[in-house]
Amino acid sequence: MKPSTEPCQNDSELDDEIADLERRLAQAKAKQPPQSALLTPAAHFLLLLSDSALPLGSFAFSSGLESYLAHHKALAHPAPHHRASFTSFLPLSVSSYSSTTLPFVLAAHRDPSLARLAALDDALDAAIVCTVGRRASVAQGRALLGIWERSFAGPGGVAAAAAAIAAAAAGVGAGKESGAEAMKGFSALLKTSSSSFSTSAGGGGGGTGDDDPPPVSAHLAPLFGAICALVGLDLAQTAYVFMLGHVKALVSAAVRAGVFGPYQAQKTLASATVQGLIAAMIEREWETKVEEAGQSVPVMDLWVGRHEVLYSRIFNS
Amino acid sequence: MESPFPKSSSADGEGRIVVRLLPQGISGLEAFAYQYPLKLITPMRPPETKSALVFILSYGGGLVGGDQVNLSIDVKTGAKLSLATQGHTKIFKSPSREVVTRQTLLVSIAPNAAVCLLPDPVQPFEASVYEQIQIFKLARSASLCLLDWVTQGRTARGENWSFVKWVGRNEVWTVADDQAAQDRLLVRDVVILDSKQAHPQLPTLCDSMHGVGVIGTLVLRGPLMKKLGEFFLAEFAALPRLGARDWRSEDMKKGSDIPLPPQEQWRAERLRMEKESKLLWSAANVRGCVVVKFGAPTVEAGRVWVGSMLAQEGSISQHFGAQALMCVR
Repeated sequence: MKPSTEPCQNDSELDDEIADLERRLAQAKAKQPPQSALLTPAAHFLLLLSDSALPLGSFAFSSGLESYLAHHKALAHPAPHHRASFTSFLPLSVSSYSSTTLPFVLAAHRDPSLARLAALDDALDAAIVCTVGRRASVAQGRALLGIWERSFAGPGGVAAAAAAIAAAAAGVGAGKESGAEAMKGFSALLKTSSSSFSTSAGGGGGGTGDDDPPPVSAHLAPLFGAICALVGLDLAQTAYVFMLGHVKALVSAAVRAGVFGPYQAQKTLASATVQGLIAAMIEREWETKVEEAGQSVPVMDLWVGRHEVLYSRIFNS
Repeated sequence: MESPFPKSSSADGEGRIVVRLLPQGISGLEAFAYQYPLKLITPMRPPETKSALVFILSYGGGLVGGDQVNLSIDVKTGAKLSLATQGHTKIFKSPSREVVTRQTLLVSIAPNAAVCLLPDPVQPFEASVYEQIQIFKLARSASLCLLDWVTQGRTARGENWSFVKWVGRNEVWTVADDQAAQDRLLVRDVVILDSKQAHPQLPTLCDSMHGVGVIGTLVLRGPLMKKLGEFFLAEFAALPRLGARDWRSEDMKKGSDIPLPPQEQWRAERLRMEKESKLLWSAANVRGCVVVKFGAPTVEAGRVWVGSMLAQEGSISQHFGAQALMCVR
């Protein structure tokens, strides 16, 4: 770079001007009545969807943590780096969950139409090759769909209002309107699936039957992406809330499994590690096509799958 | 001397196999073509006639960085094909992450036809970059047995998941009888092993494998594999519970003098082996396919286990002949 004094002077003048404008903007804003970001409908739903009280039943699943602990306990002389610890399980679980599942959340948020949502649900159903993982994903997905139908999209129409506002802001009113209809269509599809495929949905016996899989199963990830889009969360927020939800479920499972207490749990949740980890995973999967999503931690498949062979269990996964 | 093998043809790394049911009721190769670096071999006088047998090989015993192999296989109505290898598929190093060594396998299986792919594992060397895509399109009454496994590398040289990247994708589709209807995806199993740590808190690839030296996936589908799939599910359900206490008295533990039935004896021996070799496995029924996952500290432990399961149940040798099992013995 050539040394030159003139641009520097210009830069400092520009800086002064910017500082002056910013100060005046802040003064003008201060005169307005308070308009916190918390008051937007999207922010309101961000809080609801990230709330531990959201009745998804996530508390019933440990995402392989219980099995991981049991498998390590069973080892007579584990190598030092293979001793069970939540600190080593957490990053593995976050990496595995984001590589297998996050692309489906992102894809559904980008296009929450009925056709796309059903296709994503079907593709994810083909990609979770583990009974325990399927059970956890479908149980929470159905619970979320229930929350949408009974609570968010209920007679109060709170979600509809939020969607309308979000749509008006984005200038795509018609598109968002069909979003709620897409959810209705999805529910209808699920009801036909459940009635005609009730026997095969259990996934227990059979083996290699000729029956086609049901059209939709209601897995958590695509529904989460679609509903977040409907209530106005942006893509990055949606991804963050989804991954944080996974971490919160893991941490809460760890507390109930007696790994650590509530203060350590909050310390873990508040840590820069968890924040950085989630951000890094979102960045890693931002462009991943759902066809290319896959397991980045193969032993996780074994731990989660073998949850079935634990003698005593406090979780469903 | 003229080569006993069929002439090589077609474009770089391309290969094509068509298997047809011959009038005398045995499966024969209708088309058989391949190009460097892919090499296919079929025995002139097959030891068995239950299925056609093809070895998928590469010149020099491995794929060099950037090699591309595209093999397309068509198994016609009622025909059966066994695919095997002769030793590990070695993946040599790539000069950079961008140079991907790639194998693509497209298999179309017609009604009542069957394919058994039980190869040796893929052995990616240090600094290799590999991607493997295997897509199987099955008619409703078609059957498939597919094993895909990968090792930690050359242990003798201290390699332990030391490659740059390994991606394996297996897809099983069911093809509608009706031409107008769309194919339906049944299973898509993708494994992504990447040495790049997206966050400093993530363990290295080697550490994330938790002492496992080989990981494998077995996918079973179709009427000929129905019994075998049920066998895996039943054996998985019969695994001893982890963390269970043995409340039996010392006398009871020693066992009675009455010998166990052969099946029970085999199971007890297998469970002892699983425990000793630290092999972990699980099985699940996924949309009409049985998907088995396993991991073991050594390739041999994995091989012995898979071989023992497949041999004990017997469907593979019954339908494809013992030759289909040669890589897992």
